[in-house]
Formats: sequence, structure tokens, C-alpha cells
Amino acid sequence: MNPLALTLASPQHFSILEKLLLALLTLTSAALFWRRFGVVLDKILKSKKDAGFSLRPLGRRVGDFVWEVMLQAKVIRQRPLAGLAHAFVFWGFCAFALVTLNHFAAGFGLGFLSPDGLFGHCYFSFAAVFALACAIGILGLFIRRFLVRPKWLGKKLSYESGFIAFLIFLLMATYLAAFFLPETSPALRTLWWIHTLAILTFLPIIPHTKHLHLLLSPATVFLSRGGFSRIPALDGDEDFGLVAGTDLTRLVTLQAYSCVECGRCTEHCPAANTAKLLNPKEVILNLRGYLNTLGPASDRPLIESLAAPQVPFQCTTCGACEFQCPVGIEHLPILVGLRRGAVNTGAWDDDYGSKLFLALERGSNPLGMPATDRDKFIEKAALPLFDGTQEYCLWLGCMGAYDPQGRQIVTDLARILNYLGISYGVLRKEKCTGDAARRLGNDLLFQQLAESNLEALAQSKVKKMLSICPHCVRTIQEDWKEYGVPPAIEHHSEFIARHLHRLPSEGAGGFNPLKSQDEKSRALAPEAGSPQPPSTATSPEGFVTGHDFSRAETAAQLTGALAPATAPPVLETIVYHDPCYLGRYRNIYEEPRAVVRATGHLVEAPRSHERSFCCGAGGGLTFLGEETGERVSHVRTAELVATGATTIATACPFCNSMFRDALADKGDTAPQLLDIAQLTARNLPGKIEKQA
Amino acid sequence: MKIIVAIKQVPERDAQVRIDSSGKWIDESGLQWALNESDAYALEEALQQKEKNGGEVIVLTAGPERVGPTIREALAKGADRAIHIDCDDLASRDALGVARLLAAAIQPESPDLILTGLQSEDLGLGQTGVIVAELLGLPHATLILQVEKTGTGIKVKRELEEGWFQSVELPTPAVLTIQSGGNKLRYATLMGIKRAKTKDVRRVTAAELAVDAAPVVVLDRIALPQKQKTTQMLPGTPKEAAATLVEKLKFEARVL
Repeated sequence: MNPLALTLASPQHFSILEKLLLALLTLTSAALFWRRFGVVLDKILKSKKDAGFSLRPLGRRVGDFVWEVMLQAKVIRQRPLAGLAHAFVFWGFCAFALVTLNHFAAGFGLGFLSPDGLFGHCYFSFAAVFALACAIGILGLFIRRFLVRPKWLGKKLSYESGFIAFLIFLLMATYLAAFFLPETSPALRTLWWIHTLAILTFLPIIPHTKHLHLLLSPATVFLSRGGFSRIPALDGDEDFGLVAGTDLTRLVTLQAYSCVECGRCTEHCPAANTAKLLNPKEVILNLRGYLNTLGPASDRPLIESLAAPQVPFQCTTCGACEFQCPVGIEHLPILVGLRRGAVNTGAWDDDYGSKLFLALERGSNPLGMPATDRDKFIEKAALPLFDGTQEYCLWLGCMGAYDPQGRQIVTDLARILNYLGISYGVLRKEKCTGDAARRLGNDLLFQQLAESNLEALAQSKVKKMLSICPHCVRTIQEDWKEYGVPPAIEHHSEFIARHLHRLPSEGAGGFNPLKSQDEKSRALAPEAGSPQPPSTATSPEGFVTGHDFSRAETAAQLTGALAPATAPPVLETIVYHDPCYLGRYRNIYEEPRAVVRATGHLVEAPRSHERSFCCGAGGGLTFLGEETGERVSHVRTAELVATGATTIATACPFCNSMFRDALADKGDTAPQLLDIAQLTARNLPGKIEKQA
Repeated sequence: MKIIVAIKQVPERDAQVRIDSSGKWIDESGLQWALNESDAYALEEALQQKEKNGGEVIVLTAGPERVGPTIREALAKGADRAIHIDCDDLASRDALGVARLLAAAIQPESPDLILTGLQSEDLGLGQTGVIVAELLGLPHATLILQVEKTGTGIKVKRELEEGWFQSVELPTPAVLTIQSGGNKLRYATLMGIKRAKTKDVRRVTAAELAVDAAPVVVLDRIALPQKQKTTQMLPGTPKEAAATLVEKLKFEARVL
């Protein structure tokens, strides 16, 4: 290739007729483009304004834009091969913007980039490199879509995608081919026209297809609410969530039109992967369908555009969809918004749901237990009451206060605090944080719980809080902000990781010389009762089937009884499960792992970190009775068991209870199930005198 | 059908109650309050009747300022309006005294049906509803689980002992005391609360109703139940323990 060879942009002389034709075609193409794009823009602008929307902080928005759009980081990181192919096409398009502008200008004899000039020459060569990368990229994507065909792209082949891929390839091929042609070749003119026609065909297709994301998704990413699963405050007395078209805000409409139908959301969705009706991609596309046919001014119920009213209620709010979405769609505010619309108006009729809400209305904990049970536990575990002098307020949460296994975790965390000599106390009275009410869309109940708790914490002069439950942590820190200023709170994984150097360890540091074997066995001995031979403890007859409590107690005994048998020399292998509300919601991945490593050999599940697969409990689903299809908890448990680890480590009492039930039918072969606090507390010497 | 539901605000079920210095009532300071459970079922039955047959549901309660949230909760769940008998000395009135207040407020409304819970969770007398019927000269039925409108009046299902039920027909107007558990309760919604803001709550003072406040039954004293610890640990293998348990349930507790 002669570097000085002509490009498509070389001064070419077009007849008046050709110029007229070009003008006519360009206008037609632009008109066809606008006929659709104008409608979409109108629907976005006619949607309700987002209350409380602010461009500030601008830095966050620019950062997201550069990272997710310009650098295509999310796309590449989560799906490297396809992501890179996409990035090549995207960067190719960016590089081509100037080339294309010049291309049309040249058609009218107004070309501003000359291939003979230094800048022009460099730029055309630069664009050629991108053209090549883009051509390879689009070919790769074509092969993936039509030959490899990953299942989440759906059964139906999208011929428009094929056609678009062909057009993009044609654009690049014609651009590159021109470099190899002699100046006088009549083929050059033909190439120029093919290139032009390809662009003019492409333009109107954009707003008519999912390729609309080319134009909208940069705006969607830039304008997103930010944070993760941020549920917007309701706006005024007539806002009950997403009930009808009139409730769709500009952001929601923009997001619905931005969907590129890649299916990442559905690929990672625990509901969609266990034969439920919920398919997050379908929800977004149905929303778009509603906007297309009825528009943002319609008062027809949105729920009708979904497959069934229970669809939004199958979401565990694990956030995998929102995390994965490359075009900035915030699925959770939408799914929770649909729930709000149903619950706040009383349209949601579900026996379990009503029972849960009534339990929270009357007893302020979702388990329906009398509050006196919490008092009894505090007394029995000798937990000090918070009186304003201690450093931490240990927030028990409903699982920590009422669930037998949750209580074990709290007790062990208290042992760790005692060992470290860090002062703490628990509140005399505590209500549910309202996590389940919030996620299920019961704003009235959530507000009552949040306000009542905020008031109690302020009265007790709580400054710092510590919790074993990622759901409590998230709800207190983020969701309560709508009603006041919550005290600082951290999850026990963060707390323990920070104090690891002061705690006895078993893992990477090897055998702790400070601790004699005698002391260790004392620390490992079960707190109550004598050690039972493992065979008796784990035999199915040992369980009282169908009764959670006895099962949990047996499991608790197991912990103590089995531990000496599985203790070193060989380090025990521990698989850690990332809770959604700690990982994706709080971005805490390494702290709990550090804690696990200090007690054994950490192994990873196939899906871990930000790709962790939900336990099935979130979004209030743990209280909604039997699931349809496969149980999410069983799928995840099977995955964790298949790692061959002897212990499953959790960092969330809800995950713990889900796995506890899923492991119940595994009998002797079941790995033990321990929270990271329990793993740590096992290595503490003896029993520490509790604070008074 | 015009239905009046008489409700009562009682201490929340989990409340730690303490006896006050007089020894005749509980210390009300710092207590959380809630709607009496069987009254919640009475309200639910009224709302369902309205949904089926149309009409109006009016909630009626007697009590001090603090009953406000309970009234709003009832309005939020779907009652159309409320009557609040402002009365600070409810605890010193006996069932007859309270029934006189309620009956005096009900009289001018001339409803088709008057519902109330079968008994309150605090005093548990189970008499107020029946006395209201007597004062108004209306037929009544107690322990009702189901209400069905007929051509001439209503047909109700009463709960008797040992799993027996009784079906009774009454003319209207009538007074029914409702048993818990006959319906599924609804949860309060945001929309309900917002709509409730504009609903009418009419306040009348006990003095305005001009009824006799002198009790015929005088409360002597109240006491907390004696704590009894009768936990027994059953020894042996699970199989043996289960056998002992069954025996004890059969012959000692006589529940099997």
C-alpha cells in the first residue's frame, strides 16, 4: 500500500446531478432517522421529571462516563472477548466521526481534511487502523451472534443485527479498499457511493432498533442515579411507585430505550436461572413496549405489560442485573418501583406478604417473634446494654436477635470484641431496619421503621454501629438517609479484618505459637453439652425434620464437635460465599476473604466476587414462602459443595439460613457451615469472661 | 349497608406492662399502643361487607388523644370516616359505662350493622359489645367468624367450643362481636394513609354525650401472673424421649 495512495476522501468531482442526488438521499435518511428518534426523544421528555435529580456531583458522572463509555471498561471486564470486539467497534466509530463528516462535506465539494496535508494524512491512516480493528470486531460479534449463539441472546435470531453488522463491515471494507486503488480507477467512485449509501441506510436504522443505544447509552450512563440499587424517594402525595405510564420518570424511559438486548442481566439473574417467570431483560423490553404503544401519559397499569403480576416479586434484589448492565440501566429501582406500585396501593395480594407486613406492623420483626425473645437472648448471652459510654453499638438485627444460628454468630462476634477489649453494647429495644419492607415496596412500613429506629438511636447517642448482617448495614447506611442521618455502621467482616493482626490465626500465618494445643482444644470445645461422635450428630435421625430450630441447634453442636477432628495439620479448605448486599452493594470483597484466610485455606466458587450467585433470600423473598421452579439456595449450595471445600463460610445471616436449609438433606457429606465470625472465634483461647 | 365498627386501642402485644402506683391500672407512660386484635378482624369484616354490598364503614372509638394514630390506621385500611369519643377516664369506667358512651354515639347514626371485637386484649371482659346491643335494643350474636347478607337480614357463623360451629340468622340492625381469625387481615398502605388524611374524624367529648359514668363494677386491683417454671427435661435417646413425651401429653397434659 502506497502511503500516499488516495483515500475515499480525496478530492473527487461530483456532477450537479450527483450532488443533488446526494442531498436528496441525505435529507431522506435524516428525515427517516428523525421520524423515529424524534418520537423517542419526545417520550423521554414527556415522562415525569425525576424529583431531586441533580447533575452534582459532576466528578462521579464524568468518572463513570470515561470508565464505562470511553474506556468500555465494564463491557471488557465482564465479557473480555466480546467486550473487546465491541470496544473496537466503538472506538472505530469514534475515530470515524471526523472521517464521516469530511466524507459528506467532500461530496458537496467542501472537504476539510485533505489526505495530502500532514494532519489529514495522519488522521486517515489513524482511522484506517481503527477501521481494521472495527472490521475484525464486528466480524467477531457477527460470528458470536449467529454461529456461537450464547443462550441469553434469546432463541430468536435478530436479522437486523446481522444486517447492521454487514453495513458496518461494508463501511470499513470500502474505506480500507480505497487505499489500494489507483487514483484513476472508476471503482473509487463506486466505493465512495457504496460507503455513502451504507451510512445513509445505517442512520435511520439506528433509532428503529436496539442500535439506539449508540446514541442513548452514553447519556444513560452519564445521567444515572449513581450508587447501587438507589431507590428514589417518592415525589409528593400522589406518587406510589411505578403504577402507570404517568409514573415513569425521564431516567426510566431513557433507560428503557437504551437497552441493547445483550441479555447480561438475564444471564446472571438468579430468578431467570431457576425457572421463574422473571426475566429482567423482558421487563425492560416490556416497559419499552408499553412506552411505544401507550406512552408516558397513559394511566393503564404497568403491571399489565408484564407476563404476570408476581413477576417483580420474584426478584431477590441481588443486583447482578444492574451490576452487569453495560448501558447504565438501573433495574432495581424499576423492579422495586413496580413492587411499590403494587404494595403501596394495596394491589399486591399475597398471603405471605400480608403476614410479613402485619408482623412488622405489630411486632416490628419479620420473623413474627415476640420481642421478649430478644430480651431473653440478651440476658442469656450476657450482652451488655448500650449506655452511651461504649465505643460500638452492636446492632443485633432480627436474625441476630431471634434466629438460633444468627444468635450464635452474634455470640461469637461478642467473644471477639471481648478478646480485643473493645467496648460495645446492644440496644434495649430494636426494630427491624425495614429492609424487607423497603425491597418489597412497602414505603409506609419502611418509613415507620426507619423513623422509629433513627429516633431510638439518636436518643441513645449512638455514634458507631457494628452489624453481622449486610442487609441491616445497607439499609441503615443508605436507605435510612431518606428520613434522617444514620450513625456510621460497618459490617463485622470489615471490623474483624481490621483487627486481624491482634487475633489468633490458623491460616496463612500457620500454627499460632502463642497458643498451646491444650488451649486450642478448650477453645474448640462446644459451649454446651459433651462432644458427640460425628456420626451420631450428622445422621439424619439426629434431625427433627421440618423444624428449623432443632436443626440449627444440631448444626451448632456440630460446629463444636467436629472442629477438633478436622483441625490442622492439613489446613481446612473453606469456600467463601459473597453476600450480594456485602459485595455488589457495598463493594466489600477482600475483607471477609482476609478473615477466612486467617483460619484456613480459601477456595473460590466458580461464581464469586461481583459475579457471586445469590442465596435466594434477598428482597424479602425469604419470607414469601415456597418458590416456583428450582430453589435458588439449592443451586448455589450445590455450586459451593462442588468446590470440595470442607467448610462453607458466610458473612450474612440470611445466606447462612438459606444454606443451612439447603444442606439439611446432605447428611454426613455436608460441609460445615460457619459465619466468618464463628471461624475467627474458634481460634480464640478458651472462654472469655463476658462483660457485665 | 351502613356499618359502625367499635374499636379499642390497647397496649402493644409485646409491651412490658408495669402496674402503676394505685395498683388498679397499668403505668401508661412509655407504652406503645396498637389496635385490639379482634377489633382488627371486626374492621376487616366490615370492609369486606362494604366491598361486597356497598355502603359505608364508620369507625368508632373512645379514648384520650393517643388513639389518633389507631383511628388513622383504620381509616387507612379503608374505613370512610371516624367518630372519636374524647375520654380521659376510660380505665375508671366499667363495661357498662363504656357501652353507654358507644351506644350514645351510635344512636344518631342508625346503622344497619354494628361490629366489634369479641373482647379487648387489656381487660378481656367480652361484654362491651353485648351491652351496647342491650342498650340500643338490638339483636346480637357473639364469636362471629363469617357474615353473609341475606334478603331479610344477615346469616352468621358462630364459633362454639371443641370445633363446633353454629349458624344463626338475624334481622338487621344487629350487633355482632367478631372472633379473630375469620378473615385475612389487610396491611396498611401508603395510599390508604394518604387518603386517610382527608377523611372526616368527628370528635365528641364524653361530657357532650351526657351518659352515666358511675361504674357498677369496681376494679379492686390488678396483678401480674405468677411465673411458673415447669420445664421438664426428658432423658434418654430421641426415641425414648419421644415415647415419654407422647405418654406425658396423653396422660398428664391430656392434649392428645
